[in-house]
Amino acid sequence: MSFVRFAVRRVAEMAATLLTASFVVFGAMYLAPGNPASFLLAGRSASPEALASINAQYHLDDPFLVRYFRWLGDVLQGDFGRSITYRTDVSRLLADRLPTTLLLIVMSLVVVVAVGLLLGRIAAVRGGATDSAVLVTTTFAVGTPSFVAAVLLQGLFAVNLGWFPSSGAGDGGLGDMLWHLTLPSVALALYLIGMLARVTRSAMLEALDSDHVTVARSRGVPERQVVRRHVFRNSLGTVLTTGGLIVSTLLVCTILVETAFSIGGIGQLLELSTTTKDFPTVQAISLIIVALFMAVNLVVDLLLPLVDPRVTLGTRSAAV
Amino acid sequence: MTTTPPRTGRRFRGQRGQRGRLRPVAAAATAVLTAASLLAACSGPPKEKAGGVTDVRLSVSTPEAAGEIDSFTWAVYAEPPTLDYTVAFDYPQNTVLSNVCESLMRWTPGLTTEPGLAQKASNPDPTTWVYDLRPGVRFHDGKEMTADDVVFSLGRQRDPDNAAAWAQVFQNVASITKTGPLQVTVKLGKPDSQFPQYMATAAGVVVSKAAVEAAGKDYGTTGGLGCTGPFQLGTWNKGQSIELQRFDGYWGTKAKSKKAVFRVLTDPSARTNAMLSGEADGGYLIPTESYARLKSSGTGTLYFGEGLSTVNVNVTNMRGPLGDIRVRRALSLALDRSGFVKAGLGGAGTVTNSLTTRAAWAAAPERTLKTAFDSLPPTGQDIEKARALVKEAGADGKTLTVATSSIGQDVSLLATAVQAAGTRIGLDIQLKTIAPNAFTALFTDPQAREGIDMFPLTYYDSITDPLDLLQNFRTGAYMNFAGYSDPGYDKLVDEASAVYPVEQRMDIEAKLQHHASEQLLWIPVAEWPTALFMNKRITGAPTTISYMYYPWAADVGAAQ
Repeated sequence: MSFVRFAVRRVAEMAATLLTASFVVFGAMYLAPGNPASFLLAGRSASPEALASINAQYHLDDPFLVRYFRWLGDVLQGDFGRSITYRTDVSRLLADRLPTTLLLIVMSLVVVVAVGLLLGRIAAVRGGATDSAVLVTTTFAVGTPSFVAAVLLQGLFAVNLGWFPSSGAGDGGLGDMLWHLTLPSVALALYLIGMLARVTRSAMLEALDSDHVTVARSRGVPERQVVRRHVFRNSLGTVLTTGGLIVSTLLVCTILVETAFSIGGIGQLLELSTTTKDFPTVQAISLIIVALFMAVNLVVDLLLPLVDPRVTLGTRSAAV
Repeated sequence: MTTTPPRTGRRFRGQRGQRGRLRPVAAAATAVLTAASLLAACSGPPKEKAGGVTDVRLSVSTPEAAGEIDSFTWAVYAEPPTLDYTVAFDYPQNTVLSNVCESLMRWTPGLTTEPGLAQKASNPDPTTWVYDLRPGVRFHDGKEMTADDVVFSLGRQRDPDNAAAWAQVFQNVASITKTGPLQVTVKLGKPDSQFPQYMATAAGVVVSKAAVEAAGKDYGTTGGLGCTGPFQLGTWNKGQSIELQRFDGYWGTKAKSKKAVFRVLTDPSARTNAMLSGEADGGYLIPTESYARLKSSGTGTLYFGEGLSTVNVNVTNMRGPLGDIRVRRALSLALDRSGFVKAGLGGAGTVTNSLTTRAAWAAAPERTLKTAFDSLPPTGQDIEKARALVKEAGADGKTLTVATSSIGQDVSLLATAVQAAGTRIGLDIQLKTIAPNAFTALFTDPQAREGIDMFPLTYYDSITDPLDLLQNFRTGAYMNFAGYSDPGYDKLVDEASAVYPVEQRMDIEAKLQHHASEQLLWIPVAEWPTALFMNKRITGAPTTISYMYYPWAADVGAAQ
């Protein structure tokens, strides 16, 4: 498939997906109980005039489709609207909180990839007791929900040892933020480390059994080179295809980890905005999450042919 | 008003989605579904073992600060969405705002009302209130406060386009005018005994007209707040913390701390951990399950104070079995109140048969108290009698639904207690678990209350007047979810609203209290005190719920 055709198709698909997702989320919010106007009034009774005024300001009385298309039109012009709860522009709300969440996710991703690949690789190559040890630890890692991991890490490293802060994202520079986000990123990464280690291990074991590895060994290629060139590279494709799953897990679990550590990023904001039916905010965050999810898939599709010659652009290997 | 520190965490069960190539629609759906199933990987929080306390005594105050400190850090359970005083109607925003913005009147730590930015409030006739302002008061922007600022500030509360949470306080106000450079006159359509009391809450806040107009539509979320309090808004690190800085041009007693930092700690155990580790020096609204840990930690002191809060079972459906007063009485008789206080309130609370707290009646004479509190339905259990009542009402085996949620033990354990009580007296009580975020909708959306007969409700008064709660059973009142309507009751509410002399008014309120308690419109369960923790470094904060509208942080200073 030519690259141009591939690009056009992917962009069209992304646009269609974002549109569908925005419609689904908007519809779900619309059907959920509760009226944002009454949340705005914080459980006080309101005069009919005040309610009418809010409904008019935020167009809450308009029919569903009218509201949806008005929102869509604004978004296409780059206007994400005003948060009903926070009484400020959604773009500003997100700008304040997005960096924290992105840093947390990137930190977790680095930990997941580094540790997960390493564990999977040594388990496959060394076998024996090392393999068993890795299997046992990853079983624990996969079985520990990140919320539990958060509580355990907090108890041990923050409360008892006092090495790390127990919550928050810091308010100093980058160093302070990294220090604050260490425990949360580990809590977020734990489950995925286990998963990735297992995927890497089985993909490498499969590759170790393959014919060309046997051939390479018989030709006297040093074992290190065999592992690096043939085994590891061949298994990278499989590992890469789990990348999408990893990032989507990070995006979803960040909601709970942010809450456990009171980090106050996008995840927590999403949770709170859903609570108060803050349409513009929930819509914007959902779009960001779906867009990130798709962007990761795109990157995976672009990288796959580079690491796995058997895959051509736009087709996924059947190894998943 | 009602809120409990929310808790998060849900459990989802789901199949892991298979991944492959997807069509757009399917992709979007899968993204959502995968999200749901992935939550299994990071599912909800483990249950913390409840740690209650015994021997709870309410403290009137905490030791006075010995001297100044540079800064202290305070834990709050949520971030205020905005600090605009007109929508400040919940614990987190009021806890912060009370130190930055001041009102015409002032609520004291003893829960009485005294002059604030107005040095005198006079009532020349039943429908007129004249506020004479304190001269020489400066806003944080350096401008001097005038009558124009007051007219403007109260005007924002009344403007329907502004959707103020406090608008209802002004329902009887006909006009607010400047009658002198430092005098504002409020004309009422009819006498209103609640209005002058509310001028001590965020409803009576005075801001600088110039500052609000300069901030425009971002007022309350960025920049200064244009107020007069002992602290001014410093850096607001969104989602993280809010910093207040001492205002040196303050007209009253200067704050003892140069800085007060509010840390947003949404997770209850994170909040407790921060207080144990010293990351936070203290906090109000301590999670009940942490009472014991904090009390025995040795890092500081856990105080309890008067909270004007009662925990109740709010009856929302009178069209079902609960429409029969005998069933409501039976449930009340079967409820294990002391068991609930032990488990649900961490032992800090007292069982009650009254919808209002005793402290709300502080101004009432002894005989009125007798009328209000004597011969209310009993708090003790009488299963036999309750069972007989259910039979008599023909409700044996009838199903009732109580809503529950994981937002706090005061909710979840009360729902369980109601279920246990019902089971013992021949009722079939179903629990309907509602996600924490949907629980709030019970207050705001009749649709959300469909199919629910009752739900646990913690209610606090914003002023020291039982009418604040008792007016909820007036026909058409906002919290009157059961749609109760009794012309006699309504007439008494109107009477009480129109009577200014407090002793006379409370006589009427005692009748209301009796009526509401007899009818069991809500089933009262317990009085819930406020909890306050401060570590060994600091002292001085008030123990009572006055912290919602009183500049309490100015009193916090060094313990030694």
